[in-house]
Amino acid sequence: MKNEKRLNGRDLINIGIYGAIYFAILFVVAMLGLIPIFLPLLAVLVPILGGIPFMLFLTKVKKPGMLFILGVILGLLMLLTGMGPWPILTGAVAGLLAELCLKSGGYKSAGKAVLAYALFSMWIWGNYLPLFTDYEGYFAQRADYGQAYIDAVQKLMPLWMAPVLLAASFICGLIGGLLGRKILKKHFEKAGLA
Amino acid sequence: MSAPYSSEASQKKRRGFLDPRTKIVIVLLLAVFVLGGLGGSQMRPVKTVLSALPFLLLLIERQWRGFARGLLILAIGYGLLFLMPYLPAGLSYIALMCGGIITRFVVTIVMAEYLLDTTSVSEFISAMSRLHMPQAITIPVSVMFRLFPTIREEWQSIRRAMRMRGIHPGGAKAGQVLEYQMVPMMTSSVRIGEELSASALTRGLGAPVRRTNICRIGFRLQDLFFLAGAAFVLVVWVLELCGVSLW
Repeated sequence: MKNEKRLNGRDLINIGIYGAIYFAILFVVAMLGLIPIFLPLLAVLVPILGGIPFMLFLTKVKKPGMLFILGVILGLLMLLTGMGPWPILTGAVAGLLAELCLKSGGYKSAGKAVLAYALFSMWIWGNYLPLFTDYEGYFAQRADYGQAYIDAVQKLMPLWMAPVLLAASFICGLIGGLLGRKILKKHFEKAGLA
Repeated sequence: MSAPYSSEASQKKRRGFLDPRTKIVIVLLLAVFVLGGLGGSQMRPVKTVLSALPFLLLLIERQWRGFARGLLILAIGYGLLFLMPYLPAGLSYIALMCGGIITRFVVTIVMAEYLLDTTSVSEFISAMSRLHMPQAITIPVSVMFRLFPTIREEWQSIRRAMRMRGIHPGGAKAGQVLEYQMVPMMTSSVRIGEELSASALTRGLGAPVRRTNICRIGFRLQDLFFLAGAAFVLVVWVLELCGVSLW
């Protein structure tokens, strides 16, 4: 019984497969984020689009630990792409919350899966934290992007945007989760993937 | 080339200039200091030297194409910054922004590509197990890095196929484009991933025993040299935080 609860090689590889698809989508959207208008929209677009691979991933998750590991790995990858150490922390916390939510549904409940994805989506907030925790310093570092860029971002990202973005990532996570469910039913179940 | 295949000999020939662990340390330094922009004015000369490292390594490993491409993109970035004052107002802002972004990103991307091109998955896993990284991290990460190029290829060919059917931005509804591009991309990526997983499991990945492999990794003189350099960068940074001025 104890052995069945432990993660085996196949589970870890599944984390890698779906993590790679999720990160590929994140990466494409994040490239848009270099344009100032899209920077706050990252908290909207990534949770919505990422819901499709994530809901498919959740159908493979039957044991505790997988969401937590994915959260930490996404944080590590963000460190490699220059976002600083914050995403590791938010990734771990969001992963843990999603884990608890999914566990309370016995890894079967579809509603709990959508909620778990919404909780997981909040990890993306960590990418904004370097901006909000050190408002002056962040823009001083980006002086070489030009004053026009800085003005545009400052106008879009006043300090009160911090809680708004957190809430946005959760709500869009719900939308993304529902969208993912719909696509799952329409395509992947028929194809025998889910 | 006609010599009989010997895994040991081929491994010897393929052994990289640096140990994977050293490469990862350099990528992290670049990501944090050059890309992440940590550190103030005292770090500037250090950052310049750091930025030159990936190009030096590419030359040492004779990756001419990577070297030329990195240099070209860097030249475009600096070219934009150089042209910027001569352009009309609206255009010059865009040039400044693109130039700033390119010059900031390209060095770290070149280094990351160097790491991926010169490190096999086996080398990566054995380096990580020597660092006592848990398998729960190393297995997913190595699967991800193995899949990224596959996903890119799949996505490109699916986009081409869909364009032929008139499904592209501007030709169909955004929702449709998304659905008809993402669903096949995910389906084929997942299928490839599952085949990969079957093959890796057959070779004992994730088994509860310690795996061995024929990769020869380990620190040599050049690794010590680069690691000492990395330690020096950190020392300079800490000294700057403490307010000691060096130059």
